[in-house]
Formats: sequence, C-alpha cells, structure tokens
Amino acid sequence: MIDFLIGLFLATLIISLFTTRLYGLLLWYSLNSLTLGLLALFIGHELDDMAMLITGIVTILIKTIGIPYILKNLSQKFHFVRQINPEIKVQYAIMLIPAILVFTFYLSEPITQMINENNNYIAISISSLFLSLLLMMEHKNIAPKIIGFLSMENALFLLGITATDGMPMLVEFGIFLDLLMAIVVMNLLFHNEEAKV
Amino acid sequence: MMLFLLLLPALIMFVMSLYKNDKAKRILSFTSFAILLPMIKLFLLPKPYHIWGDYLIADGLNTYILLVSSIVGIGVTLALLTLDKHVKVSPNAYRRFYRFFAIFWIGLMFSILSNNMGIYWIGLELATLSTVYMIKTNHSSSAHKEAWNYMIVGAIAISLVLFGIILIYASAKPILGEDAMSFNLLLAHAKDIKSPFLFEIGFAIVSVGMFVKMGFFPMNLWLANIERASFYPVAALFSGILESAVIVGFFRFSKIAMEVNYDHLFIFIFTYTLLTIFIVSFLIFRAKDFMRLFSLSGIEHMALIALFWVSGGTFAALLHFGAHAFLKPALFLSTGVLESNGKYKIAGALKGYKGKKGTMFWFLVSLFLLAIISLPPSPMFFSELYGFGAMIAIAKKSDHLLAMIGAILFLLILLSVIFYRFVAIYQSMKYEGEKNEKRVYPSELFSLVIFALSLMALLLPITFDYLKGIS
Repeated sequence: MIDFLIGLFLATLIISLFTTRLYGLLLWYSLNSLTLGLLALFIGHELDDMAMLITGIVTILIKTIGIPYILKNLSQKFHFVRQINPEIKVQYAIMLIPAILVFTFYLSEPITQMINENNNYIAISISSLFLSLLLMMEHKNIAPKIIGFLSMENALFLLGITATDGMPMLVEFGIFLDLLMAIVVMNLLFHNEEAKV
Repeated sequence: MMLFLLLLPALIMFVMSLYKNDKAKRILSFTSFAILLPMIKLFLLPKPYHIWGDYLIADGLNTYILLVSSIVGIGVTLALLTLDKHVKVSPNAYRRFYRFFAIFWIGLMFSILSNNMGIYWIGLELATLSTVYMIKTNHSSSAHKEAWNYMIVGAIAISLVLFGIILIYASAKPILGEDAMSFNLLLAHAKDIKSPFLFEIGFAIVSVGMFVKMGFFPMNLWLANIERASFYPVAALFSGILESAVIVGFFRFSKIAMEVNYDHLFIFIFTYTLLTIFIVSFLIFRAKDFMRLFSLSGIEHMALIALFWVSGGTFAALLHFGAHAFLKPALFLSTGVLESNGKYKIAGALKGYKGKKGTMFWFLVSLFLLAIISLPPSPMFFSELYGFGAMIAIAKKSDHLLAMIGAILFLLILLSVIFYRFVAIYQSMKYEGEKNEKRVYPSELFSLVIFALSLMALLLPITFDYLKGIS
C-alpha cells in the first residue's frame, strides 16, 4: 500500500507539471498532499508512532483541504490568470522528467545505500524536489510558482517521513506554522489596495 | 521568564502596531531599548544557560551575537522614526512594517538562541517570510517584483537548508534518536556518526542554502537588487540581524562538520568563499549606487567571516562579524540621508550638511566608510590580521603553506580592488558633484552614534578577552 501511495505521490506531481489550468493544478496539489497525508498515516500506523499519525491528519486537513481552498479563494478575489501554459513544451517535458528521475536515482545512490529501509522512497522524494523546482521554473505566473514552492515543501516532508521515520513533533508543527504564515504573506502581497500612497 | 523578557520589546511592537496612533512609533523606538536589560542579565549568568529546556540554550557565542543584533534592532527602530521624512510611505504601510519587523525579530531571536536544528530553521523561515512584506512596504513596481523574487529564491534557499537538516538528522538518528536535532549533542557525538558521508552531504546542502541567503556565488546580485528596491531600513535589518542568524547557524553546523571531516569542510568553504570574493570584488568595482555597493561589500565580509571561522580563527571571525554587523546597518541607514537629494547619486553625497548635526553626520559616515575597508583602527583591520594569521597557522600544520600564502596574496589583491573603489567613491562623495542641502534628523544621528560607540566597544580589551574565550 505504501508503495502504491508513493507512486501516486510522484504521479500527481508529474501530472501537475503538464497542467495548463490553475484549478486543475490546485486539484493535483491537493491530491498530492492527500497521498502524503495517507502515507504518513500508514507509516505511522506501521511504526506505531502517534506523532506521525497526528502529522498525517494535520497534513490532510491543512494541505489537502485548507491551502487549496484558500488559494482558490485568493485566485477568485484577485482575478488570477487561470490559463497557465508551461514555458517548457510538452514534448521536451516528456523527455526531461524521466531524465530527472533517472538522474536523481543515480545521484542519490550513495545516500540510499546508507539508509537500510525505504531507500527507494528517498530517491523518489529527492526527485520530487527537483520536479517541484521544475514546476516553479516552467511557469511565468505567480500562482503556479506558489504551488511549486508548496510541492517542494511536500517533497521535503516526504523525505522527512521516509529518511528519518518522522521528524520531532515540535519541528513538524513549526513547519506547518510557517506554511500558514507563507499563505498570510502571499495574501498581503496580492493586496493592492495600499498601492495608493 | 528570560525568554519572555527577551521577546517583550518585539511583542510590544507587535501589539502597538495594531493601534492607529501616530505617537505609537515614538514609544516603539524606546521600548526596543528594553531588550538591553535581559541581555545584560544573560551576559552575567553562568553559561550554558538553558532558556527553554534543551531547545534554547544561551552560550558565549549566541549571547554575543544576540547582543550585536539587539543593538542593530535598537538602531533600526530609531532610524525608522524618520522613514516617512525621506521616503513616501502610507501610515498603514508604516504600521504593517512595524508588525512584520516584530515577527522578524521574534523569529531571529529563536534562531540565534536555538540549540535545535528544527527550531533554528523555523525561526529563519519566519524571518524570511516576514521580510517579504517589509520589502513590499515600498509601493514601487520594482519592490513588488523583488518581494516575489525574495519570496521564491528565499523559499528555495530555506528549503535547501531544511533538506540538509533532514539528511543530517537521518545520519545521526541511529545513534541519538530524536535528540539528533540538538546541536550540542551532535557536536559531542560527531565522531560516532555511522554514515559521515550522509552528514557531509547534508552539511554541504545546508551551507549552499545559507550561502544563497547571504548572496554568495552564484547568487551575488539577488540580495543587492532586493535591497535597492526596498526601503533602506530593510537592508539594515538584512545585514545586521538576518545575516547574524544565518551565520550563527553556519558556525554551529560547521563546528560539527569540523569534527566529522575537517579537510573536506575546509576545502569546500575555502573554494566557495574565494570564488565569491573574486566575483564580488569586481562587482564592487562596477557598483554605481550606495545600496548595491554596501550590499556587495557585506557579501565580501560574510565570505571572510566564514573563511576565518573554518580556518580556526574564531576570534577573528567573531570580531569581523561584530564590526560588519555594526558598520553595514549604520551605512545602510545613512543612505536615507545620502540619497535624499537626487537618487543614487554618489558624487557630492557628503556635501551640503549644515550645523552641528550635519557635520557630525558626514564625519561619522566618513569614518564608517573608511572603517569597512579595514583602515586602522577599525576592528576589521585587526580581525583581518588575526584571520590571515589563523590561515597561516592552519597551513603550517599541513604541507600546503606555500599554496596558502599564495591564496592570501590573491585575497589581498582582491581586497585592494575593493579598497581602491571605496577610496575613489569617498573622494567622489566629498569633492565632486553639486552641493545640495540635506537634512539630518536627531534620531538618525543618535542611531549612528550608538553604532559608533558599539564599534569602539569592540576594541576594548574586555571584549577581546570575551571573544577569545569563545571556543
């Protein structure tokens, strides 16, 4: 089941790289976060780790429901451009994405050798990190760049879950707090009312 | 209790910023002085002092850095009083600036005092995000663009730091369990780490993240552009407080990396900093406005601090750090006056001051300008002497003494390029250009005096003894 979910995590991220509509992108981000939350729940259940179970639930609540909902509201409030065409053409992206995947598996081999369990998961989370960076790079609009940043946070979260069997509770909640702060700051950045000095 | 006292000025600032009263800002600048009381208490307490369990611990190093950044905080709040006299800023934006400054300060205090990698990161992220809005206070389109730029590049840099922290944590978790997040335990058990390679990769990624945040190679101009686009107190906060928090993290991580594999660490940092100074010195040579000039000079100083630190010159690095943290904010704050007539003009910037306040202002700015290029008796002169001494001492222990002497000579050539440029700029400021009258306000002058006194305090024997006592 964990293998399936981690595959789904990667798949949702790859699909979001090809999405040309903003709401579609939000949906894929939401599903990406959902698989991450479920992963935390499954791994937490397997390890009998209460902290990770709580983190999984919070992930689902904040990242799957909260953040996409807020971003959708923001996009309606500030009239974002909803047609978001990636700068990298589809035919090139199709070649580039597998290349990144192969490259990261090769790159992370020395690291994965040192970690006994879940070593493929680490390679996948590092490749998700690169794919999220690609998502930030291939769009000119701000909204997909934000989603790229949030996906990067997801990839790091996955790395935290798989490489270290979960970070300490305090740190994970701190990261959530920062994520919410990021949304507040983004809201303020979009606010143009104050532009009239 | 101690934590509460330390956070109190920032908390008051946050609450006061919610009131729509113009007089509030006058009170704010004085409340920032309240931080000095707990700071003095912290200095007197035996070290290490546990402020909040094992999460926040005050030792010799971070107490010093916290004091330096608190003085910068006081100076900036004083200079903020007259921000609206030099630039256009709406009362609403002014209050929001204070609010985010308070969050920024709280975040960085947690970062500086933290003994936990996770809390360190959280504080830094909080500060990064709050800075975004401070940049946006300037309502120009370039500031809007740069605020987004900072948000995205800053987020990538900070994500790299988190990525590295996770790898470091993964490398030490088998021996330390959840305590693998603590800096002091990691340092004590650095030699027992089973997979040093994993630690080193983690350290390298953390360092690159921090270097991007400080504007090292290859991101030399991104900070300079942001500081140019935002109001001048933001640049002062960057150089005086944000960089302090970043460098304290670098000190902590590199201390552990020194135990794991010193040679790898030294070669990595040595190459990186040398490359950065090489590029920055030529960028300084081409700089045409104050903000970019000071920002690039800041990068050069941070690179030197990192280099001295990994060479074992703890004293030199800390002295250089202190001098940098006082000089740069002072100069950034003075650009508010220097650029008040005719933006970006270097020629004639030190002309047109009247009265005692004006004379004192241009005199202090001249001193600061000459001090950042390490003219004696600037603390930077001494720190560079000690730093190069430490580099030679470390080379003596290996077979690379000649190579090190060559590297130091190369470094001196690069520093002389910077020296030449600053002297030329100073002459242009004083002897060229038109004479336009500029106004200096008492609060600005007061903040510059505070910085000048702090600089002098750095040269006292008692400070030297304290810094030498930090290992």
